[in-house]
Amino acid sequence: MRKMLIKSLAVGAAAVLALTACSNDREKSGGDTPAGGKGFAKDALIGVALPSKTSENWVLAGDLFTNGLKEAGFQSDVQYAGASTTVADQQAQITAMTTKGAKVIVIGATDAAQLSTQVAAAKQAGAVVVAYDRLITNTPDVDYYIAFDNFKVGQLQGQALLDGMKAKKPTGPYTIELFSGSPDDNNSGVFFNGAMDVLKPEIDKGNVVVGSGQTDVKQTATQGWKAENAQSRMDSLLNSTYNGGKTLDGVLSPNDTLARAIITSIKGAGKPIPVVTGQDSEVESVKSIMAGEQYSTINKDTRKLVAETINMVKTLQTGSDPQVNDTKSYNNGVKVVPAYLLPPLIVTKANAAEAYANDPKLSPLTK
Amino acid sequence: MSRTKELQKNLFGGTTSNARQFVMIATLVGIILYFQISTGGLTLQSGNLIALTQQYAYISVLSIGMLMVIVAGHIDLSVGSVAAFTGIVVAKAISQHDVPWPAGILLGLAVGALIGAWQGFWVAYVGIPAFIVTLAGMLLFRGGNQYIGNADTVPVPPGFREIGAGYLPEAGPDTGYNNLTLLLGLLACAAVIWRELRSRQVRKQMEGAEPAPLWISVIRIVVMVAVIVFATLRFAGGRIGTSFPISGIILAVLVIAYSYYTRNTAGGRHIYAVGGNSRAAELSGVKLRRVNFMVMMNMSILAALAGMIFVARSAASGPQDGLSWELDAIAAVFIGGAAVSGGLGTVGGSIVGGLVMAVLNNGLQLTGTGSDMVQIIKGLFLLGAVALDVYNKKQGRFSIIGSLTRPLRREPSAQSSDPTAQDRETARI
Repeated sequence: MRKMLIKSLAVGAAAVLALTACSNDREKSGGDTPAGGKGFAKDALIGVALPSKTSENWVLAGDLFTNGLKEAGFQSDVQYAGASTTVADQQAQITAMTTKGAKVIVIGATDAAQLSTQVAAAKQAGAVVVAYDRLITNTPDVDYYIAFDNFKVGQLQGQALLDGMKAKKPTGPYTIELFSGSPDDNNSGVFFNGAMDVLKPEIDKGNVVVGSGQTDVKQTATQGWKAENAQSRMDSLLNSTYNGGKTLDGVLSPNDTLARAIITSIKGAGKPIPVVTGQDSEVESVKSIMAGEQYSTINKDTRKLVAETINMVKTLQTGSDPQVNDTKSYNNGVKVVPAYLLPPLIVTKANAAEAYANDPKLSPLTK
Repeated sequence: MSRTKELQKNLFGGTTSNARQFVMIATLVGIILYFQISTGGLTLQSGNLIALTQQYAYISVLSIGMLMVIVAGHIDLSVGSVAAFTGIVVAKAISQHDVPWPAGILLGLAVGALIGAWQGFWVAYVGIPAFIVTLAGMLLFRGGNQYIGNADTVPVPPGFREIGAGYLPEAGPDTGYNNLTLLLGLLACAAVIWRELRSRQVRKQMEGAEPAPLWISVIRIVVMVAVIVFATLRFAGGRIGTSFPISGIILAVLVIAYSYYTRNTAGGRHIYAVGGNSRAAELSGVKLRRVNFMVMMNMSILAALAGMIFVARSAASGPQDGLSWELDAIAAVFIGGAAVSGGLGTVGGSIVGGLVMAVLNNGLQLTGTGSDMVQIIKGLFLLGAVALDVYNKKQGRFSIIGSLTRPLRREPSAQSSDPTAQDRETARI
């Protein structure tokens, strides 16, 4: 018995020694590789983590990334977060990309403040982290931010709302309601503040009145950017504020999905459709604009944004610093993230044909 | 008896039911090997093993509590919401009301206990089915999360993040590995060897029980020590600054404690008795209400802990925390062999069940499978695993669920061999 045991321990020790010889990651730590310092292989892996497939925009972006990165000669791993477990899924996907050795990870965050552990690990493994469309907050480990100028988007929406109402009814005061996006998306506040930048002076002058008095970004929020949430909020606003003879002249909606939900709610209540803004140029909304229901949308051409992002990846590959045009405005709570911003374009029925001339899916709708 | 059967008998501890447990472990090993090959060696890389542990520690913490709830014949649908609610309370307390973070953890556990007492009261003393009570809880605490958090994302300070994103610190001389992780591995090896020797001793002392041949014990020790050493070196040899995660340690402690409790104490056995036949249990003197109350309360405390681990790992508490966690936890418990009707299942089985799902999920992500396909495959896998088990049981053959009924039979041999399998499982997490 005792002999056997001694033998077994000897075998065990041998096994330990044999296993000790197996690879150890400690030496090849990439912790101090500076971002964009030396560049990387031309066929390196590029990870793209996008939110769940809740809007046409993200689905299109995913396809464009897959094809675009392939054309540029990179390997790509494009992932969407699952619909029900978005945050945890995206965290796991970013970690998987890091493990696979991605050199650049492009992230369209589901919850902008809940990714700091994962991007820190990606950064330490030597990847460059690019926040796509939504700024990642609460972390020093974001290298670049690329998006359309969202404050400008808000300003354009606010202006479109005023113009639209003026066209229908030359003199005020106008009664409006305000909607904003999901509070966990950093952009929601930026859109809203941009719009308020234009609307606030008019509200202060008394020219524009918010019927329900709900002007705070918290009160106007639409959790998860979900259409059903916007619709039910509009339903209750109609019941509480516009039950009597009061007319609603305009609704500030941050995007198209919500705009259509708001219009559905108003139609359901049998009221005339007010001026409703939007964003994203979704197919259904472009149809709605051409039919004279929704007033405006914003064209943030996803093709352009993806193309610019891939350009950024190409620049990083060569080892030089990519182009940025804003190094002041995007503070994520820990640092100011250098940003490359693209200009958005407001689209109404009047300029739709011109705005979508190059878009194979949308241009037939405008004829 | 055929030769293979005899080998099985010897290798896995004497009875055929012991051999059945082998199937579940074999499935896990099979999945790991498959992905290890198809991802070109990424699955068992240090970084991936560490990430895997951190990603699923909170689900496994939940599945421990869920196992006990399901064994007692209930279900808890509120765990995700309870976790999210606790998360936001703790995050707000720490970041906006200057509560020091260790106190924040205690606060979180207290909140979990209060919620648990609330749900336990309705289930045990009023007699409303747990399905309904926790469905109400699911809405109640999800709403509570959004009410308190304003549907906002609230960050937590670095100290608190340790419980979800922290690692064993570097200490001692530079050995090229994380020393504390090595120490932990050494302890695990010692425990495995001690257990094996002790089980032999116990069996020798018992009349009529004959210990397995010595060479069997030797093989068992060697295999397990090899697995532990491999895992230890992987965890200890990751990128500098990373090692065995704190959340993994929390999980390991809970697994050992709850395995012991459910298997070896009267209180733990009462849960099985209640789930198996509550009337009979009550007549035998088991305090039915108390058991039900404690099981529901325990679940909410563990849910609170899981919520805090997730918040710590995410560095912030958000409005989408905890969504569909209950489903992940329940799936782990059933893949791990628990019965829907209650009375059957083990903590170890649930951990392996959770691990199977975790490795599957991770492997699919490493191979670049989209989240839509991942969900489809996981769904089919869950159905397939349980269906196969039910089919085999009907055929009177190999049954995974059957293998987990052993604790009920209270065979001396089962007592001695099961813990070793347990260690094998915990060592892998």
